Amino acid sequence: MSTDYENVRHAIAQRFLNSSDIPKEVFSDPDVYQEELKRFFYGRYWHPVAHRAELPQPDSFKTAWLGEVPLLVTRSAQIDEIRVLVNACAHRGALLEQRTWGEAKEFECSYHRWLFDAQGQFLGAPGRKEFRPDFREENYSLRRLRVSEHAGLIFVTLDESTPSLAEFLGDALAPLSDSLLDDGKLTLLGYQRVIYQANWKAYIDNDPYHAPLLHKAFHMLGWQGAAGQLVSTRPYGHLCILYAVKKYQDNGYLADPSVVEFRGTDDRARVIALRPVTGITKHVDTINVRFARPLGPGRTEVWYAFFGHASDTAAFAMHRVRQSSNLLGPSGFISIEDAAIYNRLQATARDGGYQRFVKGVGKPRADWTQNDEVSNTDWWGHYREVMGFAEDGFSQKNERD
Amino acid sequence: MPIDITDRLAISDLLAVYGDVLDAGQYNEWPGLFAEECVYTVYDAADAERGLSIGYMLDDCRARVLDRVKFVTEVWRGTVEPYRTRHVTQLVRINPAGAGRYTVRSNFMVSYTQPDGTCGLLVAGRAQDVVQVSAGRAQFVERKLYLDGTPARYLVYPL
Repeated sequence: MSTDYENVRHAIAQRFLNSSDIPKEVFSDPDVYQEELKRFFYGRYWHPVAHRAELPQPDSFKTAWLGEVPLLVTRSAQIDEIRVLVNACAHRGALLEQRTWGEAKEFECSYHRWLFDAQGQFLGAPGRKEFRPDFREENYSLRRLRVSEHAGLIFVTLDESTPSLAEFLGDALAPLSDSLLDDGKLTLLGYQRVIYQANWKAYIDNDPYHAPLLHKAFHMLGWQGAAGQLVSTRPYGHLCILYAVKKYQDNGYLADPSVVEFRGTDDRARVIALRPVTGITKHVDTINVRFARPLGPGRTEVWYAFFGHASDTAAFAMHRVRQSSNLLGPSGFISIEDAAIYNRLQATARDGGYQRFVKGVGKPRADWTQNDEVSNTDWWGHYREVMGFAEDGFSQKNERD
Repeated sequence: MPIDITDRLAISDLLAVYGDVLDAGQYNEWPGLFAEECVYTVYDAADAERGLSIGYMLDDCRARVLDRVKFVTEVWRGTVEPYRTRHVTQLVRINPAGAGRYTVRSNFMVSYTQPDGTCGLLVAGRAQDVVQVSAGRAQFVERKLYLDGTPARYLVYPL
């Protein structure tokens, strides 16, 4: 731990006394951000980086980022397995693959023409005979990360000691399966991309879960509801809201209500926040994984990936495309109202105050309901522990199970 | 096939007025720039080249265009962070498609200015339009915008 962080940690610990009152400096302090990269993004956590549907053919690849680490996700035709490699040449470290997606059996670094296969093995390089005497090809593979997969969603971790994915997901595993239609045989419909001027925690804290009061659109559409079941896991604080799709009753407000219609047969609706920073939703007929990447203390990039299912008819797939494009992305009817809040939270992140959770805080866990703010506090309690803000003997207050 | 000069002027005017209407925040005027049967879409250019179908905005009928105006002017007002825009449009190519109909290609850059004074490039891209000219008046039958890269912020208003 750096001295800089130790000083910051001690100062924040004196203000971060429980998991319901969050000192705002955790959303803006650059030393906190750097420590978060180490402890969460490079630590003992699993991070979704792709869905198998994004790599539909053998030899498909996708590039991505885990914090500031560039990743190359490959589906080698030789073994038909997904591999996640660090996207940096093992020689001088140039970014190996620049494209965001494509098909390739081999990856060549343009700097000195080193060649790697899709499993990351060194295949050859010009001037090989003159390489240093201790050069061993096996020492110059691309760095390979631990990978685990659930319903086609590919998770990686940089830490060899991270517990199994099933243990990490805990009670979030079943809702995740629901969201990815159990068998995970999804098809990629496309992406919407956005950069929020907000800390990554402000994004994930307010994306999957918030009270529907924000949504004037819900009100206009007569879509209010709070009867869902809430699942919050420990210790990580993955948050899942489980409810049934409420069919839109045409109240004449929309000229074209077809875009919000539920036309499928699977009425499971799910909203999930996987810690540290992935949002997953299955709502009406949309299936959406929100791959988020912190870009510093005050910026977060989110790729909203939308999916269909391999069994969809052409007409139903088109319905999913219309609904996905217009409803739940960064400019969607509903979720644009979320987007506005992330930035507005960040705008006050340096005022020395607190973000507070109030509604439902103090209620027994068994009585938590969908719209209680208390649902994010398991995560904040975990965050407080992991970041060392609970170490100085300042006790948790107002906490109850 | 030569292009009637009055039709060319009508198309050129349509592109200019289109940006002006949006930049002035006259969203209720925006549907009037489209024909009765119309399509308005905003895609990521690279995703579209890849064959992906999701758009940032996908209005495949006039009713959707009208609903977009309703959301911008009624539902989102007061919640979203507003910004002003400036459209700069470059007409690139006009090809006749018969019966007063033309395919029109143009490039555009749209800047945004937020209330705190933040100003920058919101999006750049190209437009692939189908325009109908009747009695000297041009209207979009299809307006398909393809964005280069990630927008600088979440999009609220039609582009």
